[in-house]
Amino acid sequence: MAGIIMGARVAAMRHHPVAAATSDPWWVKGIVLTLGLSFVALFLVLPTCVVFHEAFRRGFGVYQQALQDDVTRRAIFLTLTVSAIVVPLNTIFGLAAAWCVSRFQFRGKRLLVSLIELPLWVSPVIGGLIYVLLFGAQGIFGPWLQTYNIQIIFALPGIVLATLFVTFPFVARTIIPQMEAQGYAEEEAALTLGASGWRTFFLITLPKIKWSLIYGIILCNARSMGEFGAVSVVSGHIRGRTNTIPLQIEILYNEYQFAAAFAVASLLCLLAILTLMMKTWNEWHTEKQLLLAQEAFHQESIP
Amino acid sequence: MSVHVTSISKTFGKYCALKRVNLDIDTGELVALLGPSGSGKTTLLRIIAGLEFPDDGEGAIYFHGEDVTLRSAYQRRAGFVFQNYALFPHMTVADNIAFGLHARPAATRPPQEEIDRRVSELLQLIQLDQHHRRFPAQLSGGQRQRVALARALAIEPRVLLLDEPFGALDAKVRRELRRWLRKFHDQTRLTTLFVTHDHEEAFELADRVVVLSDGAVQQVGKPFQIRDEPANEMVQNFLGLNI
Repeated sequence: MAGIIMGARVAAMRHHPVAAATSDPWWVKGIVLTLGLSFVALFLVLPTCVVFHEAFRRGFGVYQQALQDDVTRRAIFLTLTVSAIVVPLNTIFGLAAAWCVSRFQFRGKRLLVSLIELPLWVSPVIGGLIYVLLFGAQGIFGPWLQTYNIQIIFALPGIVLATLFVTFPFVARTIIPQMEAQGYAEEEAALTLGASGWRTFFLITLPKIKWSLIYGIILCNARSMGEFGAVSVVSGHIRGRTNTIPLQIEILYNEYQFAAAFAVASLLCLLAILTLMMKTWNEWHTEKQLLLAQEAFHQESIP
Repeated sequence: MSVHVTSISKTFGKYCALKRVNLDIDTGELVALLGPSGSGKTTLLRIIAGLEFPDDGEGAIYFHGEDVTLRSAYQRRAGFVFQNYALFPHMTVADNIAFGLHARPAATRPPQEEIDRRVSELLQLIQLDQHHRRFPAQLSGGQRQRVALARALAIEPRVLLLDEPFGALDAKVRRELRRWLRKFHDQTRLTTLFVTHDHEEAFELADRVVVLSDGAVQQVGKPFQIRDEPANEMVQNFLGLNI
């Protein structure tokens, strides 16, 4: 199926626009386009512009000052620390989960796939609350943790756990379909040629899924830096200690420091734009590879 | 090297793919496993290669008298050529062929010059020395098939196992490759076992043919024996002799 679509796309690119079988009248196209574009402009582009406008309204000096504020800097540092821990862990978990699901047949496999997606359906606040109920002072493990003086909730470990929960599905979800579609033949070939399991993974499997893995990591990173709900529950909002960037924005905004709030918000917007650019580049690259493969396939009839 | 399979069974869930199959292949033979789809011929080949393991029980596989039933695929050193070639798409032709040599542990890995020499020998053998820097996607089906063969031969296998080796090729390339394989076998006398559903291919190419159906061996013999005296109605039907 994908092959047919790909083939059609290649054909469309090679021979110049052929009248499509389902060509619509110009006014239908016009209405649909206007609707779509104005929605994008109103709900996506405009708010982004507002963020930057508000951030710079009182001059570049104020913007700079807002970002140099000590408490804000610590929030930025905390966010970077959290995603530096969460993204590698979720990459490993995601790879392990995808490997498990695509390579082995076992009872409850569909359930496992559904469970991997659970964090996407559940409100992030609930995700945070689970950890408070488990590790908080009144939680199940609370007294035990207290006797050993281990702080999880209202500290870095809690924030990391909540972010791990929320961003868990991203890597696994992007690579499972590809690993399932690509099958296992190359890995078996490597096995008969004497490669160990690890070698096969690094030399054969990883290159095969490279681009969708990168895509999953980009998404996971964006979400881990921007997560608000789950982190809000477990963080305790201790200024300069357990506030991440999104929480810091909320505090600044509630204190009527609008310029500072928007200045910090512009950082997250920049991250989003950067993510979008990387994602687009990644998709462009994948498409190019498909095209190359397709072209090679067309030349195949020459023995 | 000879291959002996004794009383191998294999079940997938409730489905029984092989029922107590016996098979003897002598050193230097070229044998075809012939049967309709679903007869268990590919499963049998994969079990011999070590890609699949037989059900627990009395079944055993011997390579030259040595019990390899519990050995991993590589320890068996069987060269396997997959139906759809399974070439590594991100590696050049030369890197594909060299993979098995590079994958060896440092102690037994040949030096780089030796690997290069071996790869260029194999490239000459499959007549693709011009294309060693191409990627699999830039090759035709027949060329890919030859690369897959060279890659399997690079590890100096004790036995060569081919799964529907000509299945995906057009008639002309198929005939050429068939002839090439026969010639290669006559020169090297490497014990070879190939799976096919095409009885003409099996009869033309093989020294001996093993007819499989419903997970059991129906008949073993030289091509003319099977053609002249089919063992039972099933073989007769499959060969289309009673029409």
